[in-house]
This record gives sequence, C-alpha cells and structure tokens, in this order.
Amino acid sequence: MAWRDSRSQRLRLVVFSLAIVSGVAALTAIHSLKTSVEGGIESEAKSLLGSDLRVSSRKKLKSDEIESLTKRAERVSREVSFPSMLRFLPDRGARLMQVRGMDGAYPFYGRVETQPIEAWKQLRQGGGILLEPSVLDQFSAKVGDKVELGGIRLTIFGVIKKPAPRGNRFSGFAPEVYVQLGDIERSGLIGKNSMASHQLHLQIKEVRDERKLKKAIREEFPKSRWRMETPENRRENLGDALENFQKFLGLIALASLALGAIGVAGAVHAHVTRRIATISVLRCLGCPGNLAFGIYFAQAIALGLLGALLGGGLGVGIQVGVLEVLGDKLPVSVIPSPEWRVVAQTTATGFLVCCGFALLPLLKIQGISPAITLRSGSCLKGSFWQALPIYLLLVGLLLIVARSNGSDWRRSLALVGGMVVAFLLLATVARILMAVTRRIVGKRWPYLLRQGVSNLHRPGNQTLLFLLSLGLGAFLLVTILSVGNLLNERLTLQQSDENPNLYLIDVQADQVSGVESVLRDNGLPVLESLPMVTMRVQSIGGVEVGKVEGVPGWVGRREFRSTYRNRLNFTETILEGELATERADPSGIVPISLEEKIARDLKVGIGDEIIMDVQGITLQTEVTSIRKVDWSRFNLNFFMVFPPGVLEDAPGFNVITTRTPSPEVSGEFQRELAGEFANVTAIDLTQILEEVRDILGDISTVITVLAGFTVLAGLPIVLGTLMNGRDVRLKESVLLRTLGASSKQVRVILVIEYATLGMLTALTGVLLAIGANYALAIFVFKASPWPNLMLIFSALGLVSFVSVVGGLVLSRGVCEHSPLEILRGGS
Amino acid sequence: MNLSLESGDTLAIVGPSGSGKTTLLGLCAGLDDATAGSVLLDGFAIETLGQDERAALRNRLVGFVFQSFQLIPTLTAIENVLVPLELRGESGGQAEAEELLVEVGLGDRMDHYPLQLSGGEQQRVALARAFIHRPKILFADEPTGNLDSGTSEPIVEMLFRLNREAETALVLVTHDSRLAAKARRVITMRGGSIVSEEENEIF
Repeated sequence: MAWRDSRSQRLRLVVFSLAIVSGVAALTAIHSLKTSVEGGIESEAKSLLGSDLRVSSRKKLKSDEIESLTKRAERVSREVSFPSMLRFLPDRGARLMQVRGMDGAYPFYGRVETQPIEAWKQLRQGGGILLEPSVLDQFSAKVGDKVELGGIRLTIFGVIKKPAPRGNRFSGFAPEVYVQLGDIERSGLIGKNSMASHQLHLQIKEVRDERKLKKAIREEFPKSRWRMETPENRRENLGDALENFQKFLGLIALASLALGAIGVAGAVHAHVTRRIATISVLRCLGCPGNLAFGIYFAQAIALGLLGALLGGGLGVGIQVGVLEVLGDKLPVSVIPSPEWRVVAQTTATGFLVCCGFALLPLLKIQGISPAITLRSGSCLKGSFWQALPIYLLLVGLLLIVARSNGSDWRRSLALVGGMVVAFLLLATVARILMAVTRRIVGKRWPYLLRQGVSNLHRPGNQTLLFLLSLGLGAFLLVTILSVGNLLNERLTLQQSDENPNLYLIDVQADQVSGVESVLRDNGLPVLESLPMVTMRVQSIGGVEVGKVEGVPGWVGRREFRSTYRNRLNFTETILEGELATERADPSGIVPISLEEKIARDLKVGIGDEIIMDVQGITLQTEVTSIRKVDWSRFNLNFFMVFPPGVLEDAPGFNVITTRTPSPEVSGEFQRELAGEFANVTAIDLTQILEEVRDILGDISTVITVLAGFTVLAGLPIVLGTLMNGRDVRLKESVLLRTLGASSKQVRVILVIEYATLGMLTALTGVLLAIGANYALAIFVFKASPWPNLMLIFSALGLVSFVSVVGGLVLSRGVCEHSPLEILRGGS
Repeated sequence: MNLSLESGDTLAIVGPSGSGKTTLLGLCAGLDDATAGSVLLDGFAIETLGQDERAALRNRLVGFVFQSFQLIPTLTAIENVLVPLELRGESGGQAEAEELLVEVGLGDRMDHYPLQLSGGEQQRVALARAFIHRPKILFADEPTGNLDSGTSEPIVEMLFRLNREAETALVLVTHDSRLAAKARRVITMRGGSIVSEEENEIF
C-alpha cells in the first residue's frame, strides 16, 4: 500500500528524499572530515616535537640504555646540544652558540627548511654547519665561508629557515647551529662540556597512551634522571587552539544533524499534509489509524533509508573531494580516503534521527478524521502530549550524539538544552506574531498588505512551522558561523604581529634604559620589560620537595625563573584566589601566584605553603592565586609571580621583548647591541613563531571550510519549509488569478507574507544565535564573545531574502500557467 | 464551433462528461488558450491579451461560480466576497458586500471562514462574490453539482434573479436538465463539438 500510495507523488517524495540526502551527506562529510582532520592535527602536534618521544639527559646515555629504548621505536636519532663559541674565519669574530649535533632522520614529523634547500641533506654527510640567518648577517658571512668549532673547521652549508624542534623554549640563550653528530665527536668538545644535553628522539609506531609509555620507561630505568617529552607536552604552544577546534568540530557535527533532521520533519509534514484527503478516504473505508500511520511510516523509512544511503555516499564524495582540493592548504598530511567506520555510524545515526523527526508529523495521521472526506480543506492537527515521547526520544538521541562528539554529560545537556530553549522561544514568538497580526490588521489597510499580513494568522497559516524550521535553521547556522568566526579571531590574535619574536636576556638593572634606547634607535618596540629572579623549590607544605608524594623529581631540580609585578598581563586569567599586589606584612609570608599546570605538578592549591630557595636565601610563600596562562602568545610569562617589594634586592636580570620585522633588521640590531652591551643575549623566536603560526593558520582554514559545510545541512530546511506552505499558497494564488488578480498583485501578497515571516524568523534566529554565541564563548571556549556585525547583518538579509525568493519561486507557476485547473475542481 | 451571447442572455451548456463543456467555459473566460480560432469578450480578442491583461478583463467583466465553490480558505465569508473589488483597488464595497450576503441569507455568518460553513452556504458566498463587482457575464460550472436539491433550489433561483436584475449574461455548465431548462438557450456538446442548440421559451 505504501508503494502504491507513493505512485502519484514520486516527484514530491524525491524532494523529501533530497532533504535526507543533503542532511546525511553534510553529516557524513563533516564527521568524516572531522575524523581525518583530527588525526592530522594530532600528527601536526607531533611536528612540534618532531618525534613521538624525546628522552633528554644531562649524562651521556649508555649503549644498553640506547639499545633498550631503540627496541621500542621504529626509528631513532641521537642529538647532543651544548653552548660553545663559534669562530668566524678569517678573524671575523666569535659568538656563543647553542650547538646541536645530530644523526639519523630527525625530525620524523614536520621538516627542517634550509636555504639552499639541499643543505639539510648535505649536513648529514658531515663537514658542514647550518646557522640562523641573523647570525650570518651579524658576521657578514656567507654560504661557503668557514667557521671553527672546537678543534675542527666546518663549511657554512646554508641557513636554517625552519629549525628542528628544540629541547624547550629557552633551550639555550644563544642562536642555534646545526652540525653532524660525527663532527661533534671529532671536535672533542663533548666530555669536557658539562652543559651538554644528550637526547634520543624516538619514532614509535603507535602510542596509545603517552603517559603510560613514560611510566613504563621510568619503571625500566628507575634510577635515570631523564626528562621525557611526548607531543602532548608541546601542545601548550598552540594554546587552546586544538582543544577549541575539537569542541567546535563536535558542535558542528551536532548542529548539522539537527539541521538535517528539522529539514526532514518539514518535508514529511508537507508530504503528509498533501495526503490528508487520501488518508481520510482510507479511514473512511475502514482503515484503522495505526495502519494508516504504518503505511506512511513505511514510506518514510524506505525513503529515509534510500536518502541516508545516497547521502552517506555523497558525504564520502564530499569528504574525499574536499581533502583532494584542499590537500595542500590543510594543516596536516591527511590522506583523502573515506573513513568507513564514521560513514557507517553517521549514516545510521542520520537515518535514525531522521526517522525520529519524521514521526512528529506522522503521529498526526492518527488524528485525521474520516469526516474530512465530507469536507475538504482540513489541516493537520496534533497534540503536544501525544508527541511528547517522540520529543523526549529525539532529545535523548541528540544527547547521545553530543556526548559521542566529545562533550561531557553536563556540556551535552547544556548544548541540547540550548536547542530546546531555542525551539520553545521560536514557538512562542510564532504564537505572539499570530496574536499580534490578528489584532493589528485594520480594514483601512491596503488590500494587498491586509491579505499578506492576515495570512500569518489565518487558518492554514504556516507561521509556526516556518518560524520553527527556518528559525532553528538560521539559529544553528549563525551560531556555528559566529563561533567559527570567534575561534578564527582568536587564532588571528595568536598569530598577531603584536607577539614578540626577539627576547633580550641578561639585561642588568642598570642596563635596562640603555637597551631600550638601542631598541628605539633601531625603530623597534619595547613590548615588555620585566625583572627575572632564579630560585628553587625547597619544600612544599613543610615536606622536603623530593619527598612529597606525587610530586615529580624534576620539581626539586628545576631552576624556576620568576618575576614580580602587581598586575596580570593580557594572556593571564585568574582561575582561583586573587593576585597579591603587595606583601601585607614586610617580614611575613609572601603571597604568590602559580600557573595552573605547575600548581598541579606541585600538588598545591590556594593557601598551601611553599618554601623557596632564592639563591641561598629562604623565602616562605603562600599560594594566593592560580592563573591560567595562554602560552601560545609567546610573550613573557612565568610559573610563579611574586608581588613587588620582595625580590627587588635578589640577584637577577631583566628580560626585554621586542618584535623585529626581518632577519636583516634583527641581525643589524643584534650587532649594535653586542657592541654596547656584550653581556646581553638575544634569542630569536621568529622560526618557532612561524611554525606555530602555520599550524594555527591551517586550523583556521579548516574551521572556515567546515562551517561552510553546515550551510549544506541547512538546505533541506529551506526545501522543507517552502514545500510546507506551497500547496495552500498555490491554490489561493491561482484562485486570485481566476478572479482577476494581476501577477503583480499575487506576487505582492506573497512577498508581504514571506518577507514578514522571513524577517521575523531571521531576527529571532539571529538574536538566539547571538545569545548562544555568548554562552558558548564564555562557558565552552573560555573566550570573550566576538559579535561579528557583518555576519549578523548578512544572516538577517540572507534569511529574509531566501524566504522572499522562495515565496516568489512558488508563485512562478501561478503567473505563467492557465488557471483552468481550478475550474476542474482541482486540488 | 461558433457561439455568441448577448448581454443579459442565458446559456446552458450540457453534454456527457468529457464532451468539452468545462474546456469551452475556460476558453470563453480566458482561463485557457485555444489552439485555433478567436474568443471575443466584450469586443476584446482574448487570445491577443497577456495573462495579466486577461486577469484584468476578468476582474472587470467576468464573475465565476464553481462546482467546488473555490472560496479562499484563509478569508472570511465577507472578505471572500470583497476580493474582486479589492483586487480593483476599490475599498468602499463593505456595505454592498454585507447587503449581498444578507440577500443570499448569510447575514449572520459574514465572519465565518469557509471551513465553518456548509456546502450550500459556501456556494452562496461564492454567488455573492460573483456579483459584487457587477460583471457583464457570469460563468457557472455545475453550480449545484455538489448540492442537494433542497439546497440547490434557492441558489439557482438567486442566480437567475441576479442575472435579471443586473442584466448579466449567464453561462451555465450543467448535467442537470431541469437547471438547463431555465436558460433561454441550451447547447449540447459531444466530442468537443456543439451537436445541437435549442431555445427555451422562458419569458
């Protein structure tokens, strides 16, 4: 019966199927892209470390240790780094450099860029050295010149444009040079040099749990004092970009599903509305309500299945296509191949959710009375309570989808709750609109205006459905686009030119003004200038640091560089407590502020006591605030911040940061600085910054692309909404034409109705989206909301435009064809 | 075929289903295009006019009554009656519309929507609508086809009374021989052609 019934409506059913196809296609494409890109981003994070595991040691690793570690890996590289003087020949001068000698194919992830390009390969053969461009400028040296390192002479093979990942951000206060490990051994510099750091880079096939891996190695070598790093440790350089990106992907996936489902509900509603007469005839002939429901449910399932399968296929096509097209622009080397598991999951989820949403209009079938056969023109009526179990089922389904997209239960509830609130608000606005139009339309209004506006509240009006479907669609789309925009703005900020790229270290207190004036003379800004004092942790809560349970051993060995100031900088936010601006009691306990991760490592919270050893002087401190620091901005940040009035007399130095526009300017400035303040060291961060900037830029591209795809998911909504109102408006318009209305009059009536609906829908949807954007920005992405007026106004214009154009497209047939069908007593 | 109708005259078109009655009506009212030949309505050759010009002509000269009433479901009875005037941009027809509705016996149901009216009541609204703009010609397609005899009687009576009072030419398509007998001229159609024409002595 379901098959036979479909015969006269196949074209219409194809449109309904299209709604499902585009919904599921968007869902599959977005989820597949999400999986591909997430995998790619993971490996991109690895490029910040260059390997899966880096083991660093102050002592040379023994051969049995290397052998044992090598067994865990597919590939290994050894590295030794240490500071040493490098002499530029002939007699051009010397400078302290951080020498990095390596063998093997490190970095395993990401790549080193040199000028000339082949210089990195050439280096492996030995006899050469690679330098930073500004150093070359500083000594007016060129590629092919000779330098002396320890007892050997090396040829400058080229300059490093993008370096290999470093040991840590301040691995040495000197520019880096790259040498073949064999050359280092020949130079005789190792062994004498106690400052050397020995490292082993490992590429491991599959690391399930980075922490477990480290733990296993520690257990194997309990006495080792190695520092171990995995890609996880490097993510802080990307700030919260990765985490936010993943949250965004989850949000987009949820929204695309909801969008597709709303579209399907609209399309099914339109279909069932057209079948009211048939259903009532069936009921009249003795067909029970359940059977009538079954017939159309079977139709919906069959079409849903077909649509879901086609949509899944199309989604795979889109995903592979996008990856092929965007391949080079993506941050990561993603292979454009289908993610079959995701495709199966999303197709099934899409099918289920679509069936669930289709149930909403289908349920109303049971309410179709056989009496309708006696009087035509009835519309679908349903009761909220009857549909309640389905609403609950759908909310449950959406919750599961939200949860499986990486949100915790609380956040999932908030996200789905937000959608429910939007739904209720839109329904309320629709009801208010109907009530208002019923009252305000006056007899003196021009006929066309009166007719257009009155259509909003009259029987057979589409106000509620229109607002709900298109409004929810606009709400979800604008939310996604503005959150994408928010994240992109943040990413741009992180890539901002305001971030420092040159650190000047070891500036003595009496040199600060001198260094600053050299900067100014060179036209360079003084971005930050702060004092820095080194110190160690002696005890925590009265227990010696090495003996505190759960606190890693390196805490006791680490030299903390702290500063003192009475305010937060723009990358810091207080999570707990309050930043102390002064020491209340000059001889009492010092209130300090800790960065959140170090507080976790030290296992301390607000009110805990830490005794610090400031170069021999013991200082009793108490944690009074915990700060979150956005490390991705590369400005001066510290694990510990003291209030002014405590550390001023302690031996320390100042750090000044600036931004140089090019390696040439940087080299020129460093040359001048070295002449006037020989003790001041400059650290050039340009290369690290560029690497991070590349990744952030690429994440931003992906966000834009994916947000664009949600628009595809919104397509079925427009289709469904317009199909819903089509029949009533079409009939009415043809009748008006028969009675002598000009095509202009018919169009004006339709434009007034659709424009009012469209504008109100756009306004409600966009206002809701602005609210959602604020809530998401504050509670989910921990960012300040970034209302984009351009986006808001375009959305307002576009939704109104789409509804008016849609309405006019409907009237096209009316104005071009003969109205004779009305005479035929047609439908 | 060749057919002409004078002002105030009445014509009934009869014939079996599928004989072309409604098509002829549609052609006369400019609702459809003839493949050959010409239709002159009050001197205007319909086939030379565009859809909008035809609509304007209908609005000025033509009234319709359909078998399935064809009221606009979103408008109340009085609003439905006013539509032809409103489309002309005339706004002062309220009193006249009320008068017409009272005349067809719906004085107390003016603000009802079509769904709230019985078939007979809907057809009476349609009648009032057909006469509100004083058309020169009224086309009625099976005006009583959906009504029982008790309901159709007053409607037919009203149709002819209004025709007489307003001097409106009346074209009726019907299966009902008793209704056809009320028209002055009756043509019978079969297979798209007029097979006979007779005149009744009704005055």
